[in-house]
Amino acid sequence: MEPIHTHISRQYNAELDEIRSRVLQMGGLVEQQIEQALDALIKGNTATGEAVIMNDTQVNKMEVTIDEECNQIIARRQPAASDLRLVVAVIKTITDLERIGDEAEKIARMAVQLAGEERPKNNYAEIQTLGNHVRQMLHDTLDAFARLDIEAAVRIAREDIKVDQKYEGTMRQLITYMMEDPRTISRVLNVIWAARALERIGDHACNICEYIIYLVKGKDVRHTSLDQVEKEILGKINP
Amino acid sequence: MEDIRSLIARRKFFDGVFAVVGLLSLLVGLITLLALILDLAVDGVPRLSWQFFTSFPSRFAEQAGILSAWVGTTLVMIVTAATAVPLGVAAGVYLEEYAAKNWMTALIEINIANLAAVPSIVYGLMALGLFVYQFNLGQSILTAGLTLALLILPMVIIATREAIRSIPGAIREASFALGATKWQTVRDHVLPYSTGGILTGVIIALSRAIGETAPLITIGALTFIAFLPHAPVTTEAPYVSFQWLMDPFTVMPIQMFNWVSRPQEAFHLNAAAAGLVLLVMTLIMNGLAIYIRFRFRKRIKW
Amino acid sequence: MGPDMQTANAAKTTGDRAPRTGTGGLAEAGTRLKAQVRNLNFYYGNVHALKNINLEIAEKRVTALIGPSGCGKTTYLRCFNRMHDLYVDNRYEGEIVLRPDGLNIIGKGVDPIEVRMRISMVFQKPNPFPKSIYENVAYGLRVRGVRKRSIVDEKVEQALQAAALWDEVKDRLHGLAFNLSGGQQQRLCIARALATDPEILLFDEPTSALDPIATARIEELVHELKQRVTIIIVTHNMQQAARVSDYTAFMYLGEVVEFSGTDTIFTNPSKKQTEDYITGRYG
Repeated sequence: MEPIHTHISRQYNAELDEIRSRVLQMGGLVEQQIEQALDALIKGNTATGEAVIMNDTQVNKMEVTIDEECNQIIARRQPAASDLRLVVAVIKTITDLERIGDEAEKIARMAVQLAGEERPKNNYAEIQTLGNHVRQMLHDTLDAFARLDIEAAVRIAREDIKVDQKYEGTMRQLITYMMEDPRTISRVLNVIWAARALERIGDHACNICEYIIYLVKGKDVRHTSLDQVEKEILGKINP
Repeated sequence: MEDIRSLIARRKFFDGVFAVVGLLSLLVGLITLLALILDLAVDGVPRLSWQFFTSFPSRFAEQAGILSAWVGTTLVMIVTAATAVPLGVAAGVYLEEYAAKNWMTALIEINIANLAAVPSIVYGLMALGLFVYQFNLGQSILTAGLTLALLILPMVIIATREAIRSIPGAIREASFALGATKWQTVRDHVLPYSTGGILTGVIIALSRAIGETAPLITIGALTFIAFLPHAPVTTEAPYVSFQWLMDPFTVMPIQMFNWVSRPQEAFHLNAAAAGLVLLVMTLIMNGLAIYIRFRFRKRIKW
Repeated sequence: MGPDMQTANAAKTTGDRAPRTGTGGLAEAGTRLKAQVRNLNFYYGNVHALKNINLEIAEKRVTALIGPSGCGKTTYLRCFNRMHDLYVDNRYEGEIVLRPDGLNIIGKGVDPIEVRMRISMVFQKPNPFPKSIYENVAYGLRVRGVRKRSIVDEKVEQALQAAALWDEVKDRLHGLAFNLSGGQQQRLCIARALATDPEILLFDEPTSALDPIATARIEELVHELKQRVTIIIVTHNMQQAARVSDYTAFMYLGEVVEFSGTDTIFTNPSKKQTEDYITGRYG
C-alpha cells in the first residue's frame, strides 16, 4: 500500500490506514467470492455455491463496519483535502464492493440451480472467459486503489468496454443456443443471469476506478468520456 | 515510606524556622514604630486642643499653637500640587505616548529615576540660587511650593508612567483602529484610565513633601511666625488674590524643629503634639491614596 | 517607490471583475474587487516579514488567511489598517489599492488615520474600553466629531443590531462593558467597529479567546455581515476558515503559498504545503 504522509496525530494516521486496508480486505473477500461462484458454476459444485451465498453476509458486515469507521473519522477528525477525499472514496467504494458481492451471490445461486441440470458441451467456456476477465479487472482495480495508480485506473476503465463487448458476444451465443434447442431455454436463462451479473461487476469496478481518480486528483470524472479523462488527468501527470 | 516521612518532617521543620525568623524581623520594625507613635501620643495628646490649632507660636509653651504652621503647610502643598501635577503628568504622558523610544529617551528615563533619589537639601540649595536670588521670589510660599514641586516632580513622572504602562496596548490599538489621533487616544483613554494610578502616586509624593524640612530651611523659611498670609479670597472684585504667594511662611516640620530645639520641657510636648498632627495628616493622605486606587480599580478589569 | 510600483502600474486592472485565484476560474459571477495587493513586502526593522504578496480581495465576501503561527497572517492583516505605523522601524513596500477609488493604503502620502476611518478592525481578545456599552459603540463617531445625540443614538442602535447584541443589552446601554460575557464583549467590539460603516472589516483571530457557543455566534455574525461589508479574517482554526470564508489564502513563512476558493482549498488544494497544513501533516 502506498504510505500516507505522516500526520501529526499518529492515531489519525492509523485510522486512515485502517480504513484503507479494510477496503482491500473486503475487496479480497469479494474477489474470492467471484472466483468461488464461478468455480461452482463451472464445476457444478453445489457446496461451493452455497458457501458463497453464506459468505455474502460477511461482505455485508464488512461494508457496515467500514462505513461506521468512516463516519467516526468524519465526526472526530473533520478530514480535509486528500484525507476527506480518501474517506469519501472509501464510502463509495465499499458500496460498489458490496454490490459486487451481491452479484457474486447471484452467480452462486445460478450455479446451485444449474448444478442439477445437464451440463453443456463447452462447459460454460464463454462464462469462464468473461468471468476471468472481470475478475482480473477487479483485481487490478484493488491494486490501483492500493497504489493510488491513476494510470492503471484509466486503463481498467477502458477494459470495461471490452467486458461489455464480450458480454454482448456471450449473449448472442446464448440466444443462439436457445433458438437451436428450446429445451435449454430455462437453463440458458440462468446462464444469462450469470453473464449479466458479471457484466455488472465490470461496471462496479469501473466506478471504483473513477473514485480512485477522484481520490488522487480531486476531480470528479463520473459522466465524463474516457478520452477526456485521459487528456485531463493523465495529460497533467505525464511529464 | 519512613524515609519519605522523615524527609517531609525535616523540610517542614525548616518551613517553621523561617516563619518564626520572618515574624520576628517583622516585629522589630513594627514594635519600634509603634513605640515611637505611642511615645509621641503620650506626650502630645494632652496638648491637643482647639486652642493648639488656632494659636500662633508664642514664648509661652502653654499658649503656643500651630496655626501659622498648618496654614503654611496647606498653602505650600497647594502650590506644590498645582505645579508638580500638570508638569509631571504632561512629562509622563509625553515620555510614554509621544517620545520616540531611542537612546535619548532612555537617558532621560535613567536621569529621572536618579533625580528621585537626589537628597532633598540639594534641591533646597538649587532653589535658593534659582528662585530666591535669580527670580527674586523671596523666601515665600511660592518659592517653597516650587521647591517641593521640583522635589516630587520625578516621583510624579514615574507614577504617571507606571499608571499609563498598566493600560494594555490592546486598548490603545482599539482606539487607534477606530481612527483616533494620538491626542484623542490620550485624552479619551490613556488619561481617564490611568487617573487612579496617577492620583495615588501624586498623593504619596505629596505626603513625602509634607514632611520635608531641609530644603525649606535652606531657602530660608521662618521658624517663628505670628501672622497669617493674605487671604486668597477678598471681599472686593476680583475676589481672588494671589498676594499670599509672596508671603513668608512656616510649615509643620519647621515649627516642630523650632520647639524641639528649645530647652524647656513644655515646648517638647508641643513638638510631640505637632508631630502627632503631622503623622495623622500623612496617614490621612495615604488612606486617601488607597481609597482612590480602590475606587478606580473597581471600574477597570485588566 | 521603486520598480515595484512600476510593474504594479503596468498591470493596471479595473476592479470590475472577480478576484484571480490560484487555480483560476473559481470566482463566482457578480463578485467585484474591493482591494488589490500588489508586490507587498513588509519589514520589521531588518526582518523581512512579508514577501512579495499578491492577492485580490473580493467585495462583500469573506477572505480567510490561514497558516501556522508566525507565518505572517496577522502581520499581513494589520497592513490593511496601517496598525504597523503605531510602532517604529516598520516599513511597507508595494501597494494595497482600495477599490473603487484606487487609494493606495500604504502609499507614502496617505494618512493612516484616513485608512483606519475606512477600514475597521476586531482584535484577538475582546478589548472594550472601560466605559459604558453605549460609549464603546459611539466612540468611533465621537472621534469623527459626530456630536448630535439623535444621530449617535441611531447609529449605536444600528451597530448593536448588526452585531446581534441589541436585544441583550438594550436595557443596560449605560452599564459597564466589562460586565458583559466574553462573547458579548467581542460582539460589542464588532458593533464598535461597525458603527462607522467601514468598507472593510478586519478580524484578527476573533474567537480564539471564546468558548464554542460564543464562537458559533460570531461565525454566524460574520456570515450575516458579509451582506454589507468586505471581511478579511485571520484564523488559527482551519475549520473556522472552511465554515465562514469564500476565499482562503494559505500563508507560510511570510508568503502566500496558495490562494483559492475555500471549497477548492479544503477539498483539493494544488500545493503540497497547503495540503500538509490543512490535513495536519508534517511538511
